[in-house]
Amino acid sequence: MSLFKARDWWAVSIGSEEIFGHSNLCVANIDNAPSQLDKVIVGSYQGIVRIYSPQSGKAESLKAEDVFLEQQLQHPILQLEVGKFVSVSDALHLAVLHPRKLAVYSVSGSSASVEHGSQYQLKLVYEHNLQRSAYNMVVGPFGSVKGKDFLCVQSLDGTVSFFEQESFAFSRFLPNFLLPGPITYIPRTDSFVTVSSSWQVESYKYQVLAVAHDADSKEESQRVVVGKKISVDWTFNLGEPVIDVTVAPVNNASPVILILGERSVVCLKDNGTLKFMKKLEYNPCCFYPHTSMAEDTVMYLAATNTGQMMVYGGVTLKWAAKLEYAPVSIRVGQYQDLKGVITTLDADGHLTCSYLGTDPSLLVVPTPESREINYDEQDEEMKRLQQVIRESSHSADVLPKKVSEEELQIQAHVPPNLDRTSVYDYFLTTDCIQVSTEDGVKDEDPIPSITVKITLSSRSGLQNVRLLIDSPFPVTANQGTFTIPYVGDSNNPSQILVSFFMRGNSLPSKTVARATATYHLPSGPPRIAQCDIKLPLKLVCKPAGPVKNATFKLTLDTNRNCVNLNDIFPDFITSDGSGSSNAMGFQIFGGPVVTLLSSKSSQRYRLQCDVFEAMWPVMKEFLDRVVKYQLQSGAKDFQCSFSSNLPLQEYFDLIEMHLELRRHAERYKDLLDQRAKQFRAIQRRLLTRFKDKTPAPLANLDTLLDGTYRQILKLAEGVEENQAALVRCSMGLGCATHIINTLLKLQFNLTDKEMEVLEASLTPEVYCDGEQGWEETVDAAISNLLRTCLAKTAKDQTINPTAFEMPPDSSKLKKHIMQLTDRLTKGGRLFIEGQEPGQRTVKATQAVARPPSGVSRDFSTDDTRSSGNA
Amino acid sequence: MPCQARLLETMDPLFVALNLFRRRKFEECVDVCTELLQKNPYDQSAWHLKMRALTEQVYVDEVEVDEEGIAEMMMDDNVIASVSRPGTSLKTPGTGQGAPSAGVRPMSQSGRPLSGFVRPGTQSGRPGTMEQAIRTPRTAHTARPVTSASGRFVRLGTASMLSTPDGPFINLARLNFAKYAAKPNLAKALFEYIFHHENDVRNALELASLATQACQFKDWWWKVQLGKCYYRLGLYRDAEKQFKSALVQQPMVDTYLYLCKVYVRLDQPLTAVEVFQQGLEKFPGETTLQTGIARVYEAMNDMSNAVKCYKDVLKHDSTHIEALACIASHHFYTDQPEIALRYYRRLLQMGVYSAELFNNLGLCCFYAQQYDMTLQSFERALSLSDNDLITADIWYNIGQVAMGIGDTGLAQQCFRLVLSANNDHAEGYNNLGVLELRKGHVDQARAFFQAAQGLAPHMFEAHYNFGALADQVGDLQSSYNAIKKSVEAYPDHADSKDLLMQLKKHFSVL
Repeated sequence: MSLFKARDWWAVSIGSEEIFGHSNLCVANIDNAPSQLDKVIVGSYQGIVRIYSPQSGKAESLKAEDVFLEQQLQHPILQLEVGKFVSVSDALHLAVLHPRKLAVYSVSGSSASVEHGSQYQLKLVYEHNLQRSAYNMVVGPFGSVKGKDFLCVQSLDGTVSFFEQESFAFSRFLPNFLLPGPITYIPRTDSFVTVSSSWQVESYKYQVLAVAHDADSKEESQRVVVGKKISVDWTFNLGEPVIDVTVAPVNNASPVILILGERSVVCLKDNGTLKFMKKLEYNPCCFYPHTSMAEDTVMYLAATNTGQMMVYGGVTLKWAAKLEYAPVSIRVGQYQDLKGVITTLDADGHLTCSYLGTDPSLLVVPTPESREINYDEQDEEMKRLQQVIRESSHSADVLPKKVSEEELQIQAHVPPNLDRTSVYDYFLTTDCIQVSTEDGVKDEDPIPSITVKITLSSRSGLQNVRLLIDSPFPVTANQGTFTIPYVGDSNNPSQILVSFFMRGNSLPSKTVARATATYHLPSGPPRIAQCDIKLPLKLVCKPAGPVKNATFKLTLDTNRNCVNLNDIFPDFITSDGSGSSNAMGFQIFGGPVVTLLSSKSSQRYRLQCDVFEAMWPVMKEFLDRVVKYQLQSGAKDFQCSFSSNLPLQEYFDLIEMHLELRRHAERYKDLLDQRAKQFRAIQRRLLTRFKDKTPAPLANLDTLLDGTYRQILKLAEGVEENQAALVRCSMGLGCATHIINTLLKLQFNLTDKEMEVLEASLTPEVYCDGEQGWEETVDAAISNLLRTCLAKTAKDQTINPTAFEMPPDSSKLKKHIMQLTDRLTKGGRLFIEGQEPGQRTVKATQAVARPPSGVSRDFSTDDTRSSGNA
Repeated sequence: MPCQARLLETMDPLFVALNLFRRRKFEECVDVCTELLQKNPYDQSAWHLKMRALTEQVYVDEVEVDEEGIAEMMMDDNVIASVSRPGTSLKTPGTGQGAPSAGVRPMSQSGRPLSGFVRPGTQSGRPGTMEQAIRTPRTAHTARPVTSASGRFVRLGTASMLSTPDGPFINLARLNFAKYAAKPNLAKALFEYIFHHENDVRNALELASLATQACQFKDWWWKVQLGKCYYRLGLYRDAEKQFKSALVQQPMVDTYLYLCKVYVRLDQPLTAVEVFQQGLEKFPGETTLQTGIARVYEAMNDMSNAVKCYKDVLKHDSTHIEALACIASHHFYTDQPEIALRYYRRLLQMGVYSAELFNNLGLCCFYAQQYDMTLQSFERALSLSDNDLITADIWYNIGQVAMGIGDTGLAQQCFRLVLSANNDHAEGYNNLGVLELRKGHVDQARAFFQAAQGLAPHMFEAHYNFGALADQVGDLQSSYNAIKKSVEAYPDHADSKDLLMQLKKHFSVL
């Protein structure tokens, strides 16, 4: 992040598909021109060496006279160095390191009369063949010779070979070598500094290296395979990988060693002690020391992989500038009349000479999407939108209008017959659905299944439609989700077969499954389509012999003569013919038998069962079928009613049981919480015991931990059992609520709208998960009804909502339900705010004189014995 | 890459690999090394280089990793005093000097002021109990691992498996650690590989302890690594010992940073600052150490010292973004939006280009009465925002601006948009409630306040608003409960205290 960018002074993009390494850039007065101006020498891994003389004012295009020389060499160029490498001359020469060769060239120019006529030549002076693959080299006046530069090549396997100009001197192995690191030479102490693979800075005296040869072998060669151990002058443990090492001059002091680590810059004095270090917060890629004006500060440039260049004086950031490219190498040179030009080279060959300026690093901020503003139109649009917002905020609770035609249609076809072979056993055996022993249905007869065909068709073709099947517990589907890659139009619909069967051992409170398809319109917005699947009673019930006596009985009155039960339940005629035209038995799988009786003389039907709530599935099916049957037989004004006392006591018992189970669940939770806390406390104590340096006795803490653990497991099992019971009880409560609601409807002849309100308040949907329970929800809903539409006086109407908390007992709820039935008896009407109570249909049952209910005069399980009973 | 292939033909592959590593092309470097290892499985240099390349791909500076898991927080067995003296603990920051009150500067769950710079650990608080910690609503952005030994780091482990489809590069179970520990050339890179790439702290610890024995406890680096392992394993006192011993041998910046991390985790902020100061004596002007001091002060709610330290940082590194952002947010919350604006503009000039920055610029412009730039900045912020949480915050601020200019209709719509972008935005609920209350919709307002209370129990505004509302409609019990929570969240709130007093008086009369 920088405020400014480096200003380009001269730039050129070199080569195509060439790669440049970090030591392929060199800045020196290579042609030994009298003007002492620097030239830029660049070599690439493809073996091309180029020499440039940057001239100012030509940033836009490269002129021919800027290029001194461009020459293809035989081998890849690993490194370029400039020095006095030729013994007979004081002039600067160019040393080029190839993988297996070290060559020294002289660069000479012959000037011509016109400016661009100058000719430059690269002439090979001498070369050394290398026995090992080279990694890098270092040059300098080794051994403190005057006016000469020697060469030292480090190979990839850790030998350093020294060349005293034209002649080979000696080779040495570096001790403890693994990977070659950067190496540099300090003239003042006449020693080499390198960084080993164990991330230590090591310094070797040239003298030590030179004398450390075996006495036996007089002759030195590059083919050394063994060597005497070389002793290290000093080491410094750096502790991080290193990118580059260099010697930096300091004004009025001895030079220092600058090390660019991967995470910091470290500066050492030449005796190996730490001068300063700076932790970097970026990944550096190269750096270069710079002479500083101030005393005792080290100046250096560092570049990052993101193309930032930082100028540091010691640990303080002096300047930050943005570069065009992330450089691999950075140098400072003097061209024409400009000193200190920063020369950078990146891996793809962008060579740039730049200087620091206060040009802001302009971030081109993309302008946000703007359009020509037409104020009139804008006003209008604003008005329209405001209107829409106002409308939607006023009628927030009005359901969104149904789209006239859905894009996707779902149709479910429920076959009249159950599957010939049930898929239940298949799923049980293949373990597709895990059925634990207590969950499964226990019944001697096989559990039937039904396979429903769901047809999806779209108007114009849809992709990626997901179909979800929601089956009411205890009924389950063999597959819950389907993904249909493509749904065609009505000529080419997609069909899906899904089987339903009963799984859980509990009463079915609902036998309607629902298929929901989610899809995206081609234009993007998501849509859903739904379809109800009405499952037959046969899926959850089987025919059974009628049972004569039962604990609970319900009597329903009608205004038509009783129909033959065999007519309305043709699918439930038992094979052994134990049922008859006015008595029929239904057994819920794994559950009790429900008996349906019809009176021969009066217009009544009776349901009886040992379990109160189990009557619901049969009752619902019976009511549906009898109404349909009567309609078909032409009776338009068929009415069904209920006139005896509501079986509220049985209902309240169920509520009590449900609440008890919920309280159990709470208690289990508290206990579990407490035990878990205890467990953690013991754990913590044990932890401190174990951590203690002086071992102390555990004081039976381990036994306590073990015991608590077992308690937690026990409790968890208890929670699971309780949850299973709660689920069963919830289903039963749902069934019972259905019965109560239906009876209320029949008794007070509620309209459909009123029934909706009642079902919404005294809801038969009993959820067992979540924070809110059924009791408080229903209590709140009924209290609300009692305070609004069923309120007796205005005093009652104050609304004071209470917090939704689990009630300590069910007395309040019972009282409220009693009040509800009371007020309904007294002619209360159910409606919600904004609705008018609809006109009830004629009270047909008023005129009919009834015998007192609860008398079982003309009902019997057996036709033949009915007269005897009467 | 064609030229890469040609290079391989003419040059030594190890040189190519080294070159690729230096240019940080780690994947290609790994490929070249893999080829070398196929030819010669015992090539130690290729093995070493591949290890380093793999490590470097996933390397995160351990100094910056600071994710405190729920279990660590709850099972904290390093607590020295359960009730610490004010100003000596990070858990109860208390009222620092020079810090604006909670009424002006929002607080995070733990009662620390929101920082100007998001770092690991700045947003999460310390929940009271384990149950609360587990139940606290968590989104993908605020999720925290259950323990720091799992969670975040596991991902790195699986990433390593992906990068080498035919199994892990090094089978740690079959490695003879004693053999490698004696080879310092290999051992250090191997340690970093195990620690960072494999994220296997136990094996790393074993290697480190063997290696430090092998070098006769003379290498400070191994001690630091041992300390890092101990820190990860939660053995803070052992880690402290190792770091201290390493510092005696060779003072290094990183070691100071690690040691301070230990002290912060041990909840000894004052010791941490002291160690930072010692480090600064050895390394004057080291910005990471100065930043460390500033962070500790900020966490202790001592804003004047924190800002002073951040300014010191800027003296040595004027491009330090964290320092700039924190100073700017401090100035903003101390009623100097013009100065904050200058800092934020500098960030923008430096190339920070994000939705958050434009959002802050917009707010500063508004409060500095530069209305022409306000909406433009927010527009930019909205167009740059790529995540719903940020979008929600921007709309929330636009809503504040709308409230400021008195356009309640716009404000209401803005807050609605906040909720559509992020329906856990407690501040949005609270402000919507205030607007509804102004319109006289008591029920709606109550619902909004309740939602805000549930989402952010640490925010006193929702509690107070609910309490005041309940007091007005006569529900004194609820009012009392809510006001008590409000006073708990912000003990110096005068209105809450007044109301509480009134209620108490009222109850005592009854």
